[in-house]
Amino acid sequence: MTATTAATSVGAGPSASAEASMLPLVSVRGLKVAYGDGPLVLDGVDLDLFGGEMVALLGASGSGKSTLTKSLTGFAPVNEGSVRVAGYDLTNLRHGQLRGLRASVGQIFQQFNLVGRLSVLTNVLTGGLHDAGPVNLGGGFTSTHRKRALELLDRVGIAHKAKDQARSLSGGQQQRVAIARALMQQPRLLLADEPVASLDPKMSHAVLDLLHEIAREDGIPVLVSLHVLPLALEHSDRIVGLRHGEMLVSAPTAELDAEKLDLLYADIDEEGDDDGHHVA
Amino acid sequence: MVTTSPEATRRRPTERPQLDPRERERMEHAFRVPRARFMLGVPIAIILLVWSFVGAEFDFAKLGEGAVNMGEFLSRMFPPTWDKFDVIVDLLIETLQMAIVGTVLGAVLSLVVAFGASSNIAPKWLYYPTRWVMNIIRSLPDLVFALMFVSAVGLGPFAGILAMTVGSIGSIGKVFAEAMESVDDGPVVAMQAVGASKRQVVQYGVLPQAGPLLVSYTLLLFEGNVRGATILGMVGAGGIGLELTTAMKMYDYGHLSAIVICIIVLVTVIDQASAVIRRKIT
Repeated sequence: MTATTAATSVGAGPSASAEASMLPLVSVRGLKVAYGDGPLVLDGVDLDLFGGEMVALLGASGSGKSTLTKSLTGFAPVNEGSVRVAGYDLTNLRHGQLRGLRASVGQIFQQFNLVGRLSVLTNVLTGGLHDAGPVNLGGGFTSTHRKRALELLDRVGIAHKAKDQARSLSGGQQQRVAIARALMQQPRLLLADEPVASLDPKMSHAVLDLLHEIAREDGIPVLVSLHVLPLALEHSDRIVGLRHGEMLVSAPTAELDAEKLDLLYADIDEEGDDDGHHVA
Repeated sequence: MVTTSPEATRRRPTERPQLDPRERERMEHAFRVPRARFMLGVPIAIILLVWSFVGAEFDFAKLGEGAVNMGEFLSRMFPPTWDKFDVIVDLLIETLQMAIVGTVLGAVLSLVVAFGASSNIAPKWLYYPTRWVMNIIRSLPDLVFALMFVSAVGLGPFAGILAMTVGSIGSIGKVFAEAMESVDDGPVVAMQAVGASKRQVVQYGVLPQAGPLLVSYTLLLFEGNVRGATILGMVGAGGIGLELTTAMKMYDYGHLSAIVICIIVLVTVIDQASAVIRRKIT
């Protein structure tokens, strides 16, 4: 059943006060999710996320990782339980609040989801669409937007590619652009759904280092779902693990129970996915 | 570092999904006996084709016999006479102008209508009526629109332009809508995820992806409108079509030949220019 959540806040950034870091930015209680009349994809999940921590979300394919991240941004239904994200109650969103919620949560995707034909700069600028307003109809962002986007490209180390088409970049570079786009939102939380699944090991480490750095420096929680256990162990402050929609593991990375981690993938062999790449 | 327990390592598959042995045997054979639906489908397709040939009175023998007449007709067209070259140029320019205006208006209106006809953009209450209207427009030949607009605004290119514009909504509006429906969903989801409005999702998620196809279809529409303008002229809707019809009725084959050559040159130039533009944008 549901494991207790560890309320560790690791290395909260200078902007986050000690008091604020003790309050979870994300609070999920007894979350149950099913699509239509289908079976429960998430079954009574509890989760707290605190400012400044990088949390790795583990679990086999179909364990409910993607659904959990989707349910934090209104892309998946909440059938039962409560979900509070950055002050928004997802079970009781008022008209127009969904856009506000999504604007405050930066999301990073496995396939980057950039618009390939647009420039790197424009892709980053789209992260600021929520406050662009109707004057943006002609495509002109304000110079404030542009300065900020370029600063973020500097931060992710790819400003020299600002004018290039996004599709001309390598996978690792594209994921950096996607991270800059998410930061353009000035997010209070970052969700990364298997952000390194399409990248080589070197790029994977670089991207996860960057996400960890963002969590620490900006004092925001970063929830990153991963398939590769060594990456999770190296780059996260805390690990939470799902199995068949239930939270089986939730502990600081340093205090992990190896047997429980094994259980997360215990029936993968039977499903034919026995490459064992998750094993350290 | 965490490692798996020996039990987990030793765990082996107990029951994997298996390929049907009969299916496996069939796939291993170099020559496969066709499936029943293929055995049934091919004769039906052949019968349908023969039925259509017969119904359309398609006759290779007749074509062979008529080849002499066809050659004789073509021989009358040479040499072309260029004494009315200035008239041809003026009318070709008018045809081109009609095509340009008709294409721009048609593309803009088609784009607007296509938003309503894209299932990933429009709500269902708008999607279905828009598709129905487009189907109705598409089922009517441009000549019908031309006759309608000639009776409404009189003879001349204006009626032709209106016919082209309305006609293009049915055809190009549909392909515009399908281009927008076929965009990669990822960037659209990303736009929704940043809290973008519906308009912003379309502007930054859909249109940049569909852009090359939209431009490509617009160029195709332009090429079609240049050719179409020559036909619309036959019912008095402006352009070179009326001159072409008159030359045929007056048995002025030299002039007819000059007109046809000029149309071929114009269409070829436009086709080449379109190809260059298409290469640049895709």
